[in-house]
Amino acid sequence: MDSVITDIARAIAGTALSEAIYQTLGTVRGVAPIVQTIHILSVTALMASVVFVNLRVLGLAVPSQQLSEMIRRLMPWTWGGLLLLLLTGSTFVVALPDRYLHNPVLGIKISMLIPAVVLAVAFSRLSAREDNYWDASSARRRRARVMASVSLLLWMAVVLAGRWIAYASYLFA
Amino acid sequence: MALENLWQRLEQLPLAIHIGQTWWFPLLESLHVLAATLVFGAILTVDLRLLGLAGRRYRVSRIVGELVPWSIGAFVVAVTTGVGLFITRADGYLDNTAFQIKLVLLLLAGINIAIFHLRTLRTVAGWDQDRSVPLPAKLAGAASLALWVGVMLAGRWVGHLL
Repeated sequence: MDSVITDIARAIAGTALSEAIYQTLGTVRGVAPIVQTIHILSVTALMASVVFVNLRVLGLAVPSQQLSEMIRRLMPWTWGGLLLLLLTGSTFVVALPDRYLHNPVLGIKISMLIPAVVLAVAFSRLSAREDNYWDASSARRRRARVMASVSLLLWMAVVLAGRWIAYASYLFA
Repeated sequence: MALENLWQRLEQLPLAIHIGQTWWFPLLESLHVLAATLVFGAILTVDLRLLGLAGRRYRVSRIVGELVPWSIGAFVVAVTTGVGLFITRADGYLDNTAFQIKLVLLLLAGINIAIFHLRTLRTVAGWDQDRSVPLPAKLAGAASLALWVGVMLAGRWVGHLL
């Protein structure tokens, strides 16, 4: 597995795109913090959308907003934010594949991100099936609360892990 | 006690030394980012409503009433963790241009919030359900959006200048 990752990292590092991004990030002042800020602002969009939907399901926030309407209105912000996160995040991975692909914290982050995205897709797809899907029965309300709790924990852990990528050596010396 | 002395004294606090030398620093830093995105996430919803770009079906007073407490709570966490990070290198951060800009932008964001709440919002009963709100309210939303983007950018830039 490790040698496969090394091969992938080497293949990415050898491309012209990787070299171009690496040079740009290293030589043009401001590009790195700007790309990182776009990444963090995309996290903000996720906070304002999927995280507040979760908080609404748990009865912790925005009680006057109606859940199925909220999901319809806010989830496009989540998908847009995720796309920007992916683009800005992979900018750094493509520039320094060796550093990031071997980083265990990035691995942990991605393995929490994937179930978080799957949960968000499932939650909004089910909601789209019928009006007030999640409020139609107490069993569904219960399932919604479980999904929202797990989702909330996963998103928070993903954000925290994101900042820890730079400190992986603290954890895995 | 001279003020510059105060900053150096802060750095010598046992707590400051502990944060700076252990995993407390990345822990506080990651919580700071989490709290900051929640602060702006909640404010963003208010700003976009004021600008008529999102949530237009909801009363402005409702959006403000339900989201501002979240942004205040998250802001308290952001400030607490931020102070914890700051005391590890108080002198260095105060010399840091990005940090200085961030403080100024935070101050301006605070003034914008104060004007909005103490003046603009007083007349909200007259335009609470309007999709397009009066100009002062729109300007408050636009200013807030720009200032918080600036705070995030400056905050992220701090680490690049250390």
